[in-house]
Amino acid sequence: MSYETLSDAVVKGDINTAKEATQRAVAAGDNIQDILDQGLIAAMDVVGGQFSKGLMFVPQMLRSAKTMQECVELLKPHFKEGEVTTKGKVVLGTVKGDLHDIGKNLVRMMLEGAGFSVIDLQVDVAPEAFVAKVNEEKAEIMGMSALLSTTMPAMSQTIKALVDSGIRDRVKVMIGGAPVTANYAEEIGADAYAPDAGSAVIEAKKMLGID
Amino acid sequence: MKKTKKPKKKVRYKGSPPANARKKKFLWLNVLPQDLWIKVRRGTTVWKALEKTNVNLEGECGGLGKCGKCKIRVITAIGPPIREEAELLSPEELKTGIRLACRTKIRKDLVVHTEVSDEEVEFFQILKYGQMPIIQMDPLLDKRPVSVQPPSLENPASDVDRIREGLGQEYRHLKVAYQCLSSLYEDLRKTKFEGTAVLHDECLLAWQPRKMAARRYGLIFDIGTSTLVGALVSLLDGQDVAVVSRLNSQNRHGSDVISRIQYVKEHSRGLSQMQRHLVEDLNILSRRMLQVTHLAKGDIAVAVLAGNTTMQHMFLGLDPRGIAEAPFAPVITEGMIVRAQDVGLDLHPEAVLYIMPSKSGYIGGDLLGFVLASGAANEKDRLVLGLDFGTNGEIFLGNRERMLTCSAAAGPALEGARITHGMIGKAGAIEGFRCDVNSLHYRVIGNIKPRGLCGSGLVDLVALLLHHDLLDADGLLRPISEEATSEMASRLVKRAGNELHDFVVVPSADSLDGSEIRLTQKDVRELQLAKAAIAAGVKTLMKTMGVDTKDIDVIYLAGALGNYVHPLSAMRIGLLPRIDPEKIIPLGNAASTGAKMVLLSKQYWNKSAEIAQFIEHVELSTHPNLFDYFVKEMSFPTENLW
Repeated sequence: MSYETLSDAVVKGDINTAKEATQRAVAAGDNIQDILDQGLIAAMDVVGGQFSKGLMFVPQMLRSAKTMQECVELLKPHFKEGEVTTKGKVVLGTVKGDLHDIGKNLVRMMLEGAGFSVIDLQVDVAPEAFVAKVNEEKAEIMGMSALLSTTMPAMSQTIKALVDSGIRDRVKVMIGGAPVTANYAEEIGADAYAPDAGSAVIEAKKMLGID
Repeated sequence: MKKTKKPKKKVRYKGSPPANARKKKFLWLNVLPQDLWIKVRRGTTVWKALEKTNVNLEGECGGLGKCGKCKIRVITAIGPPIREEAELLSPEELKTGIRLACRTKIRKDLVVHTEVSDEEVEFFQILKYGQMPIIQMDPLLDKRPVSVQPPSLENPASDVDRIREGLGQEYRHLKVAYQCLSSLYEDLRKTKFEGTAVLHDECLLAWQPRKMAARRYGLIFDIGTSTLVGALVSLLDGQDVAVVSRLNSQNRHGSDVISRIQYVKEHSRGLSQMQRHLVEDLNILSRRMLQVTHLAKGDIAVAVLAGNTTMQHMFLGLDPRGIAEAPFAPVITEGMIVRAQDVGLDLHPEAVLYIMPSKSGYIGGDLLGFVLASGAANEKDRLVLGLDFGTNGEIFLGNRERMLTCSAAAGPALEGARITHGMIGKAGAIEGFRCDVNSLHYRVIGNIKPRGLCGSGLVDLVALLLHHDLLDADGLLRPISEEATSEMASRLVKRAGNELHDFVVVPSADSLDGSEIRLTQKDVRELQLAKAAIAAGVKTLMKTMGVDTKDIDVIYLAGALGNYVHPLSAMRIGLLPRIDPEKIIPLGNAASTGAKMVLLSKQYWNKSAEIAQFIEHVELSTHPNLFDYFVKEMSFPTENLW
């Protein structure tokens, strides 16, 4: 079964066509996981790539994410317990002292679009709160963002809090935000740096060894 | 943030270094063309080494290796560039030894040249003038000719008491400044008791000869994050006698307030350095103004200063760190009156300095000055929208019934930063475009060959691209059709290696440094983010107020971009709401105008405090609808305007 129509519609953000294609596939008795993986998630991979290149921008990316969400809603009644798998759990938030969450929200949407389950701690998240949530959820990835260079040090403090509580080696750390650089990520001992929401997905997959 | 240890003491020599400088932990950095020798610890970056000197490098990111603008030419043989340099610099640049100061670590004695290309004296376009409403003169400082009775057996009262008598009932509670008292005995007698009283409030600041009565001047300063403007104003008629400007010397520590505060955070003496930079800059400005007008510093006994909250804090030596982190609380927002000498301003020893009130961490005295200059707080029926574009775009909306304000994190794109060939408004920047019968014309500041785009040029260009349909509403640069042959269309070229297109603004043959000036897809994205932030701020204020675009009666624009940007272009790209262009009025340097109004009429000092109380601050970063507005405003309007 090919999901070209569905994928194209998600990439274009054409909600109606995408929903129709999803319904057709469900009616034809297709495997739900296949529709999700080969139709929806594959489309969001394309979107992420185009966004990173600059071919697509935030509004279009959001339109695609919304299209995907609507389609996932249609699939939900057909999910059987334990049948649909998640790619991994991600705990996200902006660091202590930082209230700017627009970039972080985009990352959340793209990660969800790629099949990750995301626990969003929102903004101004203290190091202890990150640690507690990572522990509680057994998250595989922790993502932090900072828009202001003055709040960047909180990233390093949060990583230190992970080390201190002995769970640093159980979680991969990804960081991003306007003033953040790959060098800074290396300097503070983060595992990955994502310059934009599309790259966040690529990096997340790389860290967990998903192709 | 990693702390790099700095050498405790940096030794600087002019001329050649001492012969016995041994190569050890410390190395020598020789900076040309100044021929400055700086002793630095091995491993320090050139950027760090230059931070404390008078050498000014360009740079927007404060040494993070992101902007690629702190270029230097390394004369000493040097290894291959590091990753950021390879990305941010062209192969030609790398070949000629050009590197980024913030990425170049000093591992051996190094000779660098700070002028990447041979440039003449820079000409910066700094907006110095503003539109001034007509006001009733009642300056902060008064000078009165006074005749004082010499002491006699019949009237043996003190000198001060007899001055009180001479001044009359109004000044019966007169106080006298200490400096004035200390020389009063002689001053009175030298003038034979016929002199001029320099009065501020109920205080005698100085006693001067009678002929000085007409010498009434005051200073105003607009301290912007990037540029500083000073004006010497006659208190008799309110005319500017001299206006000068210069770049803020703090620029070497980053181009925005956040990187300046970051510097303060990371350096134990950072705040006093920042303060010293500002005070020194203002002293240079005052000296220059006094020089050209043949006045002495003793002639200036009053000054008014307006700046954003961070600059005002730094000027006073108040710790600005609270402003850089949520909840963004400054030390103080009230206006203040301080003695100029207490902060180190070199004016009359008793000169008083008025610091404008502010509203919050990101709504400063400059915005209140703008509100004052616009007269919006007195408007009864008309709804006024005011915008000051900058890294933080400040916006106000309302009239005397209700007034809202917010600060939108637009980023520096509108000032030419983060744009591939962007630059601030100085010689060589294209400030405007025009297109007739499909051929593109541009206007360059300083009337020389172009070398980049400043904010107003960028807005004009993108508006033209939208108009000619080379840029779609989503912000994608793409050809209209395969066979389009117009001049505009032919400038759109495909990038090697991917599907993106660039717009060739100036071919290499026509540019100042012989390299092409392009507008890239990434540049358009940066502009989309910046204009969306501003437009989302405007929308948030309109929704909070419960009004619509059609209710806006007038839009006032402050600052350089507001002054030079074409209103139609700004509306075409969605930076401004679409209204009758006749209703869009640039006020020029409105912060200066506000400060001048305070200087010239005491009522405006009180008025500015009232406005600070009255105006409501809308915090955008936590506003529930901001995200939706922001995303919506990223797209460009579809309809053409001309």
